[in-house]
Amino acid sequence: MPSEKDYYTLLGVPRNATPEQLRRAYREAAQRLHPDKNVAPGETELFLEVGQAYETLIDPESRAAYDVELAEQESELSAESPFHVNILHSRSELLRIDEPQVHYTLIELRPRKNLPEVRPSVNLSIVIDRSTSMRGARMDQVRSAVLAILKDLQPNDSASVVAFDDRADVIVSHDQAHDIGTARARLSLLQAGGGTEIAQGLTLGLDEMHRSFAKDGVNHLVLLTDGRTYGDEELCLELANQAATAGISINGVGIGSEWSDRLLDDLAGLTGGNVIFLNSPKSVTDLLNRIYDSLSQIIATQLRIDGGFSQQVDLRTAFRLVPEPMPLGDSLPMAIGNLPRDGYIRLLLELVVHPLLGLDELTLANLTLSGTLLASTAETKQLPLPISIKLTDELDGKPPPEQISQALNLLSLYKLQEKARHEAELGQVAQAARRLENLATQLLAAGEKELAKSALNEAVQLTQAKRFSTEGEKTLKYGTRALLLVPPQGDS
Amino acid sequence: MIECPTCKHHEFVGTLFCSECGTRLVLATQVPTMGISRDKLSEEAKATRPSAPHSPDLSTGALLGLRVVTSGELLSLVGRDNYTLGRSIEGQAVVPDVDLDKYEAYDAGISRMHAELRIAEDGVYVVDLDSSNGTIVNGKRITAQEPEPINHGDILQLGRLRLQVIAQSRA
Repeated sequence: MPSEKDYYTLLGVPRNATPEQLRRAYREAAQRLHPDKNVAPGETELFLEVGQAYETLIDPESRAAYDVELAEQESELSAESPFHVNILHSRSELLRIDEPQVHYTLIELRPRKNLPEVRPSVNLSIVIDRSTSMRGARMDQVRSAVLAILKDLQPNDSASVVAFDDRADVIVSHDQAHDIGTARARLSLLQAGGGTEIAQGLTLGLDEMHRSFAKDGVNHLVLLTDGRTYGDEELCLELANQAATAGISINGVGIGSEWSDRLLDDLAGLTGGNVIFLNSPKSVTDLLNRIYDSLSQIIATQLRIDGGFSQQVDLRTAFRLVPEPMPLGDSLPMAIGNLPRDGYIRLLLELVVHPLLGLDELTLANLTLSGTLLASTAETKQLPLPISIKLTDELDGKPPPEQISQALNLLSLYKLQEKARHEAELGQVAQAARRLENLATQLLAAGEKELAKSALNEAVQLTQAKRFSTEGEKTLKYGTRALLLVPPQGDS
Repeated sequence: MIECPTCKHHEFVGTLFCSECGTRLVLATQVPTMGISRDKLSEEAKATRPSAPHSPDLSTGALLGLRVVTSGELLSLVGRDNYTLGRSIEGQAVVPDVDLDKYEAYDAGISRMHAELRIAEDGVYVVDLDSSNGTIVNGKRITAQEPEPINHGDILQLGRLRLQVIAQSRA
C-alpha cells in the first residue's frame, strides 16, 4: 500500500461501513482535497489515494479481496510486534439506544518478553529558568543537581544545559558535558536575573538536542521553571509540536507556586512527557536523577496513537494513568510517551457514542500504535489496534473491570478539582467552594488526609479571597493527579 | 440520560461517576433500585472505596463522613464533636445538624431527632434518640439512649435509610 493508513482509516469510516457511509466520507474528502482548490503539497496525492480507497471499497468484490489482504497484513504485523496490547471495556456491550452513551476503554501496552536487553543512549537537555525569582537557594539546588547528572553521564549519552531569562544561552554544550571540569566552571557562571521567556529556552535547548540527536536512543528535554512566561505561549506550543514531530519528549518541572501549570501541562502533553510540581527545590537532585535513570530503562520511544474513530464515536478525554498520570488531550495523533522495559503504559479513553440503532457490532476505532523500538537496532514499529464492541438491547449488569472503576473513581477527584478551579475563574466562588468541600470528603473516604485538608483550606481561601491560592491550586491538581499512580491492588 | 441521585445532574448512559459531584453512578444505571441484595451493596461499597482507606485518627474535631448507601453521596461532618441526625420540617424550632430530608426521610420513617453521632476520645458512638422506627447498626437494633460504638464501614439504618460510616476504626 502506498499510504501507511488502511483504506478504512484513510476514509475515516469503520470497517463495517455501509456503502452510504463510504459515499458520504468520499464526498467530504473530495470536496476538501480536490486539486482545483487545494494548494498544500501532498494533498493531490492524498486525493488520488482517497479515490482509490473509495473505488476499492465501494465494489463488494474488490472490497472482499481487500479485506482478506488487510487481515493478513495486520495479523503479520501483530505477530511480529514487539508490543503486547490488552484492551478492557467499561461494559462488555453497548446499548442499542436512541441517545448518546459514554463508554470507557482502557488500553494497556507492554513490551513483549525476551526482547534483547540494550541500554539506549540518552540525549538529554536541561533547560533552566534563570529569572530573578530563581536567585538563591533555588538556583544553588538546581546547579548542584545538574552537576550531579553530568558527573554520572554515561559515555554513550549526551547532555546539554541551557539557561534562559528573556534571552537564552548555552551554558554547557553537548561537547562540553563529558568534560566535568569545564562543565563545573561553566555552571558556576550560571546566575539568576531577568524575566522569563520559556520559548527562548526551548528554542535553544531543542537546537542543542538536534546537534547530538540520538537516532537509536531517547531524546528528552527537561524544562525547569518557577515563573510565568508572557506573550510567547503560542510559540512555546509550536515548539512543543516540533519537538513531538522530531521525537523529543518534554518534562516540565515547576518549582514553587508561581509557574504556569497549564502551559507546562500542554507542552509536556503534546510530546508525551510529564509535569512535576516541586514545592521546594530541595528534591530537584533526586528528581533529575530519577528522570535520567528512567530514560536509560526505556525500550520503546516516540510512542504515538494514530488512526481514527468511527463517525459514531467522539473521543471526549484521554488520560495516561501509567507510568506518569497525564491528560493527553482529545485529538489524534496522540503522543503517549516512552515505554519502560519492565513497565507498561496504561491509557484510559472516555468515548461518547452517538445513538446506535440496527447494528450488532460497532467498530469504535481503528487505531494504530507506532513507536521506535530500542533493542539491537532502532526500528519503527506499527501495530494496528482495532477496537470493537458488540451491541445489545439489555445490559448483563456486570460491574465494570476493577482497573477501570478504580481509575475513574480517582480521576473523578481530579476532575472535581479542575471543575472547581474553572468555576472560581468564572467567579462562581460559592459553588467552587462547595465543590472543594465535596472533594475533601471524597478524598477523606479515599484515605487522603493531607489532600483533603488542602481542599478544605482552599475552600476557606476561596470564600475569603475569591480565588484559589497559587500553591493550593497546584497542590490539589498534582496531588489528585498523583493518586492515579497508586497501582490498583492485585495488579501484576 | 441518567440522573445522578445526589445532585440530579444529567449524564449520558454509561457514565460511571457523576461529573458534577463525583458520585458513583453504577447503581443508577442499573434500573432496579428496589431489592438490591445486601451482598451487592457491600460489593458496591468495596468497589467504590479505593484500596485500604486510611481515614483520620478520631480526635475531637476530626473529620467524619456518612455515605448514603443508595446513592453513594457523602455527607461531610466537619468541625463538631456531636451531630444530630433527623429531618426538618418548616417552622421546626430545633433543626438536626444533619438534615436527611432530601433523602425522602419522611417516607423512610426517620424521626425529626432520630439519632446522634458522638465523637469521643475512644471512638465514635451512635445514640438512638427514642425514634419512632429505631436505629439499626449492621443489622442489629440498638437500645434507645444507649451509646453504641461504630466503626468505619458500619452500616447505620435510620428507619429505612441506610448510611455507611466513613471514619477510622479504633484498632
